[in-house]
Amino acid sequence: MRDLRKTFIMGRQKVHALAGIDLDIKKGSFTVIMGPSGSGKSTLLYLLGGLDRATSGEIHVDGFELEKMDENDLGLFRRKKVGFIFQSFNLISSMTAFQNVAFPMRFAGIPTKERHVRASSLLNQVGLSNRAQHRPTELSGGQQQRVAVARSLVNNPPLILADEPTGNLDTTSGYSIMKLLSRLNQEGRTVVVVTHDLRMRQFASEMIFLLDGMVVSEAEYDAAASFELQEKEAEELI
Amino acid sequence: MHFWDFFSLIIENLNRRKGRVALTAIGVVIGTAAVVLLVSLATGLQKSATSNLWGINDLTRIEVYPNWGSGPMMMVNGVAESPSNIKMLTSAALTEIAAIDGVDKVIPRDYLNGSAMVKLGKLESWGNIMGVETASLEDLRYLVNEGTLELRRGTVIVGSWIPKNFYNPNMRPGEEPPEPPQMMDQRIKLVLSKWTEDGQEVKKTVTLQVAGTLQEMRNEADGTMYVSMTDLEAWNQWFNNGKRVNRNKDGYQNVIVQAVSPDVTVDVTNHINDLGFMAYSPQSTVEGINSFFVVLQIIFGGIGAIALLVAAIGIANTMTMAILERTREIGLMKAIGATNKDVLTIFLGEAAGIGFLGGLGGMLLGWGGSKVLNIVAMQFMAGQAEQGIVSNGISTVTPTWLLLFAIIFATLVGFLSGLYPALRAATLEPVMALKYE
Repeated sequence: MRDLRKTFIMGRQKVHALAGIDLDIKKGSFTVIMGPSGSGKSTLLYLLGGLDRATSGEIHVDGFELEKMDENDLGLFRRKKVGFIFQSFNLISSMTAFQNVAFPMRFAGIPTKERHVRASSLLNQVGLSNRAQHRPTELSGGQQQRVAVARSLVNNPPLILADEPTGNLDTTSGYSIMKLLSRLNQEGRTVVVVTHDLRMRQFASEMIFLLDGMVVSEAEYDAAASFELQEKEAEELI
Repeated sequence: MHFWDFFSLIIENLNRRKGRVALTAIGVVIGTAAVVLLVSLATGLQKSATSNLWGINDLTRIEVYPNWGSGPMMMVNGVAESPSNIKMLTSAALTEIAAIDGVDKVIPRDYLNGSAMVKLGKLESWGNIMGVETASLEDLRYLVNEGTLELRRGTVIVGSWIPKNFYNPNMRPGEEPPEPPQMMDQRIKLVLSKWTEDGQEVKKTVTLQVAGTLQEMRNEADGTMYVSMTDLEAWNQWFNNGKRVNRNKDGYQNVIVQAVSPDVTVDVTNHINDLGFMAYSPQSTVEGINSFFVVLQIIFGGIGAIALLVAAIGIANTMTMAILERTREIGLMKAIGATNKDVLTIFLGEAAGIGFLGGLGGMLLGWGGSKVLNIVAMQFMAGQAEQGIVSNGISTVTPTWLLLFAIIFATLVGFLSGLYPALRAATLEPVMALKYE
C-alpha cells in the first residue's frame, strides 16, 4: 500500500478517513489493525478487499493493482482472492447455514456436487456439521460467526479480511473465533483483522495502530489511548 | 454464474416473498387478461362479420363487367357518340385478363335476354337463368348438394333457394302454399316468351333435366339456375330474332375471374380495373373491414395495455422496496464475489419473473373469460334465434399467437419495469450497502 488516501465528503466538510498510509502486509501474516472508532481502520480493510475505492494512492494485492481495476474486475478479485468476515455476520436469514456457506460458489459457477462437498467439509471444520440445516435465527452469535467464517473460506481465498469479528460476541465465543482465525493463518492464509479487542494481540504476527487515518507507533497509540481513558474517567467523574 | 444458478436463485428469491409477489402479479394478471379478452372479442367480431357476409370460397372471386363508359354522351353530327373509354368483354379482352399474374381462371357468363317461366309439374316459378361457359361449376368454387356440377346441354343446376320460389298458380284461398318440391333429377319446363312487333306473344318451351343442386352459399348462386352457355346462346338467339351474338364485338355480359389465392385478389382486381373494365371483388370489402378490425384490436389492446402499464408501475414499486429491504444482502453478494452484472441479472430476473407469473395467470384468466363470454353469447343468440333472428353468433376467437404474445409481453413489461430498480441495485456501493440499517 502506497500513500493511500480516502476522503469522504460529509456535508460541506471533507473528512480524511485515511490521510496517506504506507503499509506492507506480508503474505502469510496474521495482521491485527487496532484503532479507536473513526480511525479509518474499517475503511482500510475494505480498500484492501477491493470492496471500496481509494480517493488516491495505490493498493497492490497478490499482483493485482486494485486502483486500476473496474467494478467487474473487482468483483472477480473479491470472488477469487478475498474472504470477508463481518461484525454483524451478514448471513442471509432465509437460507440455512449450509446454503449460506454454499452461496458464494453460485457466483463462482462451481458445479452443484462440488459445492455440496466443499460446504459440508467447511461446516465440519468449523464444528457445525450438526447445524447445517438450521437458519441463522436458530443459531447463537458464535455459531453464526462460524458459519460466516466457513462462507469466507468456500472459494479458497488466500486473503481473509475480518472486520471486528468478535464485536458482537460474548467473551468465550469471541475467543473461539480468534482461535479459528489463527488456525486459518497457520494453514497458510494471510489474515487481516480489524478490532479493538485487545485479546487479539496474542494471535497477531504483525500489529498496526491507526489514529485519525494515520499509522502510528505502539507508544503513540498507547499514549493516546490512555489519554482517551483519562478523558473518559474525567467525564464519568463529572 | 451459470444460467441455472441465476434461475434457481431468482425462483428462491421470489418464493421468499410469496405474498408480495402474488399481489404485484395480480396487477399484471388483470392487465394481461384484459388484453387477451378484448383482442379475442375484436377478433371474434371480425370473424363473424366477414363470415356473415361471404363464404370463405368467395375470397378469390372477382366479378368483371364491361365498362359502358362514363360521362355524358357526345352528340356529333346528330348521332349519339359513346365516350371513348367503353371496354367490352370481348374474346380478346378475356385473353388479356387471363394473362394477368395471379389469375387462375376466367369464366364468362351471360344472362337470359328475355323472360322465362319455370314449370315443375303444376308449380310455377320465375328464376334468374344464367349461362356459364365452363365444363363444371366447380370452376366457380360452388359446392354441390346433390348430383353433379358438370354443365351439359339440356341440363340445369339449381341454386339452393330455387325450390322455395315455386308457387301453385291455381291455389284456392285458404289453401296452404305448396312445400318446396324436390328438384333433383326432375324435368322442368322453361317457357320463354317474347312479343312480336305487332304485339303478339310468342312462346317457346324447352325441357331441362335437373342434374344437380347447390349448397346454400349466401350469394347470388342461391337464387340462380345455371345452364350451359350453348343452350343460353341458342335461346338468346331466339329472343334476338335469329341474330347470333358477336363475341368479338359485343363480348360477354359478365365474367368471373378466380384469383390463385385470396392474397392476390385485390391486386388482380386493381389490375383489371386499370385495363378499363369494371372489376369488383368481395375481398376488397373484406380487406376494408379487416383493416377496421385491426384498428379495433389495437384500440382494445390499448385499453388492456393501460392496465398493464399500471401493473408495470406496481412491479417497479415492489422491486424498489425489495432493493431497500435487501440492501445489506446486495452488499454481501458483492463482498462474496457477485459482479454488478450478476446483481443486475438477479433483480431483472425477479422483475421479469413477476411479469411472467402475471402473464401466465392473465393468459389463463383472459382465455377462460373469453370461453365464458362465448357460452353467454351462444345462449343469447339461441334466444334470439327463437324469435326468428338469424345469426351465426358473435363470439370471441382467441388465436394461439395472442396467448403466446400475452405471456411474452407481460414478461417484457416486468423486465422493463425492473430495469431502473435493478440498475440501482447493481450500482450500489458495497460498503454503503453493508452498513445500511
